[in-house]
Amino acid sequence: MSVCVSCKQHHQRPLTTESKMFTDETLEGVNFPSTWKKERSVSECGTQTRDLETDEVGVQSVKHREAEVQTDEEGGGKLRLAQDTTGRLGEWLRNIEPLIMKELERNLSSHAFDGYRYDHEDWCTHKTALCTWNLERRNLNENKPDTTIDLSSCLMCIAFHPDNPAQIAGGNFNGDVMLWDLSREDDLLLATSGIGDDGHREPVSKIYWVPDTSSKRKKFLLVSVCSDGKILIWKLDKKKHILQVVDGFVLMAQSLPRHLKSKNMRSDKEVGVTCISYNCEDKDVFVVGSEPGAVFKCSMHAQGEPAGGHIVSSVPLRSPVTFPYTSHHGPAQPVLTIEPGEGYVFSVKWSPVRPSLFAAATESGNVLFYDLKNNQSVPLKKLEANDKKIPVYTCQFNPSQFQLLATGDGEGYISIYRLSDDLKTSTSKETDVLSGLVNISTD
Amino acid sequence: MSVQVKKQKQTTMTQAVNSEVEEKIKRVSSYKGVIGLIIVDSDGIPIRTTLDNSTTVQYASQVTQMNQKARSCVRDLDPSNDLTFLRMRSKKHEIMVAPGKDYTLIVIQNPSE
Repeated sequence: MSVCVSCKQHHQRPLTTESKMFTDETLEGVNFPSTWKKERSVSECGTQTRDLETDEVGVQSVKHREAEVQTDEEGGGKLRLAQDTTGRLGEWLRNIEPLIMKELERNLSSHAFDGYRYDHEDWCTHKTALCTWNLERRNLNENKPDTTIDLSSCLMCIAFHPDNPAQIAGGNFNGDVMLWDLSREDDLLLATSGIGDDGHREPVSKIYWVPDTSSKRKKFLLVSVCSDGKILIWKLDKKKHILQVVDGFVLMAQSLPRHLKSKNMRSDKEVGVTCISYNCEDKDVFVVGSEPGAVFKCSMHAQGEPAGGHIVSSVPLRSPVTFPYTSHHGPAQPVLTIEPGEGYVFSVKWSPVRPSLFAAATESGNVLFYDLKNNQSVPLKKLEANDKKIPVYTCQFNPSQFQLLATGDGEGYISIYRLSDDLKTSTSKETDVLSGLVNISTD
Repeated sequence: MSVQVKKQKQTTMTQAVNSEVEEKIKRVSSYKGVIGLIIVDSDGIPIRTTLDNSTTVQYASQVTQMNQKARSCVRDLDPSNDLTFLRMRSKKHEIMVAPGKDYTLIVIQNPSE
């Protein structure tokens, strides 16, 4: 623009000078050193590994030599009956036959090996099932359970949740404590204790629901007892689907009454627990039965001797015993002994409504109802559970429908009975009779 | 002539003895739970059996050995004593052995049957 202006001002100048004002010029390049980039410096270096050393070693495998051995041949499985040469076979048989018949007879009536009827050698891998029936269902099928849960080992005990009928807890032969929820869609197994240091190592003998006193809401904890001597209290961890041990006890040989102790036994040796029962009014107090036969009164808050160092557990285990009951000393003694004379008595249950009534399941296939208010030694009623005299192993009153009684027998049959009115309705003075019986006998 | 008569007598006697033996064997083997019985002689060779061949051979040899062992055990402990009866309880059966001078009776029973 300025060029143009100057043109106008110096218009008298020849045009040639005007063209000279614009000339082509080549300027040299200018270098700027970088302010942030550093120049790379390179230097040379040399490394050297050591020379490879090699050694030669010779190995030789064992030389074999063959040898022949020969044993005497064993007749080769061919049977040849020898001839009776002496001729005294008949006479001898006549003498030996009564003996052998007597022994055969004794074997049949022997109960020495009854405990082995489960046929458990070590680890239980039997195919078993947990089945439930709901008597309230309209289309109840006796031969088809409402639910069937297949299990991989024998189930030793089960217990329904006190409030939620869909939840069942159980303990198996291998020591696993499990919890099922029947209302779930696919996998009914809600949680399991697993088998580890914290769990049981022997068959679980009994499982029991107890109220969780630490929780404000009405929650329940599981208590399991086992023949390894442990009494464990489990809490459900819903997220992880496991049962978590929150507390535990162990029954030890030191708690045994003197006549059941043996000299060679360590005092911290575990004693198997076979059954457990809680006080109806105070859920902190419970009694346990043990394998040597002693009964112990225990407390959930007991601070007994700690378990021996050989027991590994994440919660400290201690002895729950407040005192042992022995058969003839101490505050507990039998106030009444009834002998039905029907062989083994496998189960005895108090009626949930009538305080003076109880039922006993016997080996000869009967359920006997005794009423302590009337004649104590003669059963009020004799219920023949089957006509084949198959032992009745268990019986149970329905805790809410008092007229129902269930039995389980030796052939695998479950029977439900409806009881007559006199067996299900409570009469007055029953508690008085009971307390009278207890008081008189303890005096 | 007399020899013949004697022979005849002997055969009838053997028959009588045999039928008695059979009857006793039948009585024991038909008892409740009895699986089988074997009578072996003093050498451990079976004379009578109600079991199949291979089982008989096995039982005869094994039980005879056991019986000898038990007997020597009893006699070693007290030379004036002797074994009169041997019972073995297994998971499946009870094996009873009645030892005698010339014979041994082996009975196998399943008591839970």
